[in-house]
Amino acid sequence: MTGFFLKRLLLLVPVFLAVSMVIFAIVHLVPGDPIDNLLSVNSSPEQKAQLVARYGLDKPLWEQYAIWLGKALRGDLGDAIILKRPVSDLIAMNLPHSLALGGLALIFSTIVGITAGALAAINKNSWIDRTTMTVILLGSTVPSFWLGLLMIMLFAVQLGWFPVSGARSWDALVLPVLTIGLGGVALVARVTRVAMLETDRRDFVMMLHAKGVPPRQIELRHVLRHALLPVITILSLRIGWILGGAVTVEFVFARPGLGSLLITALNQRDYPVVQGSLLMLAVAVMLGTLLGDILQAVMDPRIRERIK
Amino acid sequence: MRFTIKTLLLAGSILVPASLATFVAAAQEATFVMPSSDVGAPSYDPIRGTKLNAATTLIYDRMVIQDADQSFHGQLATEWSSTEDGMSWTFKLRPGVTFHDGESFNAATIAWWIPKFAGTENAFMTEAIESVEIVDDLTVQFTMKNPDPNLLSNMASSFMGIPSPKAYDAAGDGYGINMAVGSGPFTLESFTIGQETVLAANENYAWASGLSVNQGPPMIKQLTIREIAEDSTAFLELSTGGVDMLLSVPTDFLPRLEAAAAVSVAQLPGTGIFYMPINTTVAPFTDIKVREAAALAINQKEILDNIFGGFGAEAHNFLIGSLLEANVDAALNISHDPDRANALLDEAGWAMGADGVRAKDGVPLEVALWTQNGTEFKRVTEVVQADLKAVGIGAEITVFDSATINDQYRKGTEHQLAIRSYSWANSDIIDWFFSGQRLGYPNVSMWNDPKAELLNEAAMKGSRTWEERVANFTAYHEYVLSQFVFAPIYEPVQIYAYSDRITVPDTIRGTRLQSQSIVDIAVK
Repeated sequence: MTGFFLKRLLLLVPVFLAVSMVIFAIVHLVPGDPIDNLLSVNSSPEQKAQLVARYGLDKPLWEQYAIWLGKALRGDLGDAIILKRPVSDLIAMNLPHSLALGGLALIFSTIVGITAGALAAINKNSWIDRTTMTVILLGSTVPSFWLGLLMIMLFAVQLGWFPVSGARSWDALVLPVLTIGLGGVALVARVTRVAMLETDRRDFVMMLHAKGVPPRQIELRHVLRHALLPVITILSLRIGWILGGAVTVEFVFARPGLGSLLITALNQRDYPVVQGSLLMLAVAVMLGTLLGDILQAVMDPRIRERIK
Repeated sequence: MRFTIKTLLLAGSILVPASLATFVAAAQEATFVMPSSDVGAPSYDPIRGTKLNAATTLIYDRMVIQDADQSFHGQLATEWSSTEDGMSWTFKLRPGVTFHDGESFNAATIAWWIPKFAGTENAFMTEAIESVEIVDDLTVQFTMKNPDPNLLSNMASSFMGIPSPKAYDAAGDGYGINMAVGSGPFTLESFTIGQETVLAANENYAWASGLSVNQGPPMIKQLTIREIAEDSTAFLELSTGGVDMLLSVPTDFLPRLEAAAAVSVAQLPGTGIFYMPINTTVAPFTDIKVREAAALAINQKEILDNIFGGFGAEAHNFLIGSLLEANVDAALNISHDPDRANALLDEAGWAMGADGVRAKDGVPLEVALWTQNGTEFKRVTEVVQADLKAVGIGAEITVFDSATINDQYRKGTEHQLAIRSYSWANSDIIDWFFSGQRLGYPNVSMWNDPKAELLNEAAMKGSRTWEERVANFTAYHEYVLSQFVFAPIYEPVQIYAYSDRITVPDTIRGTRLQSQSIVDIAVK
């Protein structure tokens, strides 16, 4: 198992390097310039040249990348050009908010998704199945930006149950969590439903039926348990995506977090912050994938055997 | 049923307490939302900061401040004068002023403060000052390297808020982030970048400027200023009572604000202009007749009435109406005149085609019209496109994001027309956008004219007194107008919206809603 873990970990190294290169290239190739945001009316061209040199933006792109990557590997993501403080501090300030939001959304989408998927599978082709999957599909196809505003209009403006925005109280988390979580519900529900229906056709399930085990017990204790394997894979992959998905939702709900930080930094072309935030999101996706692989291996000995 | 759904929602979100206590602002506490353009301002360091937000003037006092008509009024300075040659300025300082940390404000503060700007990105504010001499405890004299009649305007900038020397030096690089100590009507309680700033009333405040009715401590005892980047969210917060005031409202929200119960609107003259720069180095706009035709094609009244609902004013030159330099020779103001635009294009050899687009030597008069994202920009650009079409100029719109478009301008030859706006209440904005030293961006018009450069030099560096400066900038402004290097479109107003929880003075004093009027705002 340790060998398996190390092998998977080593595979992440080239992925990390490739991702860091892509992030750096995209950020620097997109038109726009952080120095413009530092200049004011009356700033001279000489002042601009000084600022460009001060932040090392006059160096060749490959050299800037090498410097940034070298520092990043030592845990130093540099200093924000506009926000004027260490990028790691900014990320540390914002990450807990994103983790809370993403974590709760993940839990919400897991519980509701698995429940809805199981309900649909157990009642295959019935009105329950069709209604559940249609409602979930509708919820997942609405863009999160729009869904967030709809949630605000209904639950905050019309009903007055929750705050419109901010992060001042725990109830301010409800609408953002629902907005992000609903997107995941559809995915988890679909995977759960398909996996349960496939498991239903397996020999051991037929044998359980032949033995006279009650159908509900078979579905919940045996079929659902086996069907959870692909669900766990999907969920682990979603760890990173949920952090990324929070970008627009944090903006709409005026919440702190990596998403808000990223949008602020993008608008100001604050390169070190954009690079650092994107790298964090990429690392979250990579670690999520690793976690999924490990969980799969733990739960399914055949995978461990294949890797050996 | 309501209870059931609510309970389900809460249960579904796990870990969220069932309590749904809504935030009810206590008496004498208020929550404002700062302009979305201020979101993400990184610090309250007025000396080294490059972006400050709306709360800055509440923490710091300045030497002088400006009223809505751009006139200057003393805040920490009680009187000032300059010598005839403009090489020396004397300021008398207000007695009895203390910083939030108890330190006294006096002439030594100014002698410490001015040199601090050297080497910072705000050095241009004080670069004309050679030295500061302490005449007595409450009098300072500036010896100038060169005359700078714009000195008072610089002194009134938010960047000229004066911090406590002791606190500033002790905090080092953390100043403005972890702490900020001024002498203003509010003290900084906490600052979470991108989220909110919490301020408490400075109960010792007894040196408000003459622009404030309330000469004592602010009536609001705790003021939270939130940062909300999305205007729709801010509007909904105000509608639901989550906040008490929006310090900036886009004009297109006005119909909704007027329909909302318990919400009032206050206005101040704007600080900027919507305009259309014309790239003078790219055909067909190398021909001044075509430039003039494009400028005269724009129907300012239609844009004011139909897009901005009549709020604001038509712009007919490059400066906001409250600046003296906006009072140019009336004949040089640029106004909608489609007949003259058509005649000019005929004269220039562009004949009207059957499809409504002019052509010359088989080349159609079709141009690129750039704009940036944002509802107001897109709507203005669409009307301008229609106005141009009405005189036979076909314009194809391209929308860029605001951070990208400046880089595109720098290429110099790809743009022809663009819809832009600026916010700056000083005539030196003409230098910024039309100086031959800044071609591409910010000089989007790519205009490099020897006579204009001479006028620029006189306006920027050749004025000894305020009157001379006004005359020189007026002459520069008039020449810019005469060359049709841009078309003026619209002068916005500043709009503030507030709930019936607070009372706002009938007249807001200042170029923006700042400390001088906020000390007069009360919670009912």
